[in-house]
Amino acid sequence: MAVTTASLTITSSDLVGDALSLTTTNTLKKANKIEGLDQTTGMNVAYLTSVASIDLFPALVEGSLAFTGKSSWVYICNKSTDETEFALITIGGINIGRLYGGDYLWMPWSMKESANADNHHGDIELKPSVATGMFFDWICINEGTEHHAVDLAIS
Amino acid sequence: MATIQAVLNISSDISAYGMAINNSMTMKKADSTVGLELTTGLAKRAFSSLNQVDLLTAGAGVAVDVTATKAAKVYIKNIGTTSTEFFTLGFGNASDGSTHTASNGDATAFELGRLYSGDWMIIPWLAVGTTGDITIAPSVATAMNVEYMVFFE
Repeated sequence: MAVTTASLTITSSDLVGDALSLTTTNTLKKANKIEGLDQTTGMNVAYLTSVASIDLFPALVEGSLAFTGKSSWVYICNKSTDETEFALITIGGINIGRLYGGDYLWMPWSMKESANADNHHGDIELKPSVATGMFFDWICINEGTEHHAVDLAIS
Repeated sequence: MATIQAVLNISSDISAYGMAINNSMTMKKADSTVGLELTTGLAKRAFSSLNQVDLLTAGAGVAVDVTATKAAKVYIKNIGTTSTEFFTLGFGNASDGSTHTASNGDATAFELGRLYSGDWMIIPWLAVGTTGDITIAPSVATAMNVEYMVFFE
C-alpha cells in the first residue's frame, strides 16, 4: 500500500496583528477506506502556446465512470515568473479561479458527470492568459482513472 | 502590503521512482507583485443536516469584500475524525445561500470533490456572483465541522 502525505504551512508575520501560522497534514486515502491511493498520472510538465482552454487529464466522456465520486487529488502550478500571466482553472466549464505566476492549487476531484449532452464529466480545464508561452505542472493522484477506449467517438 | 507564504509538501512512495512536490507560493494581488493583504480569518462552522449550502458566497457574508475576478485563495479543511464522513465541495449557486435550511433543489452547483476527515484543500477563487459560490454538503446529519479561510485583495 502506498503512503502519500500532503502538508501545508501558511505563514505571515504581517497579515494580522499577531503572526499567522497554520500547519496541516493529511495522508491521502481511498474513499471510505484506510487504504492509501495507489495510482497517479505522474507529473506533467507542459509549455502551452495558445490561449485555448485544454483538458488537463483525459476528457472523461464515458457514462457511469467507475471512479466518479472516488478519491482523486489534483495539483496544478503556474510556473510563469511574470506576475501578469495567469491561467483560469475551471471544472466542467465552471470557474474555480486564476493561478497567477508562481501560484499552485491542491484540491480533491470527484470526476462528477456534468449535465452536458455529450456526457462530459468534471473535466478540469486550464486556459492560459497569453499565447506567448507558459509553463505548467500538473499531476493527479487517485485510486483510478477510466481511460478512453481506442478511437472513442466524442460527440 | 502583507507577505503570506503557503508551502506545500507532498511525498509518496506511490511510484518506484519516488515522488515529491515541494512548492512555496507567495500570495499576490492580480497582475501585481504586491501581496494580498486581507483575510476572513480562520472560520469554523458546524453542520447538522445533509443540506447543500454556500460555504462562501461571492460578494456576501464573510466574503463580501472579496473582489471578483482578482486574486483570492481559499483554504478549507474537514476537521472531523470519522474516516467515512466527508464534505462534498462544489462551485455554483448553492441550494440555499448561506442559510442552513432545506435544499431548494437549485442544482446549479457543480461538484468539485470530497474532503474526508483530515483532508484539506487550497485553491484560487474567482468569486463571481451567482456561479462562483463555494458550496458544501455534509455526508451525514450528525455534527460535522469544517474550517476555512480566505485570503484576498
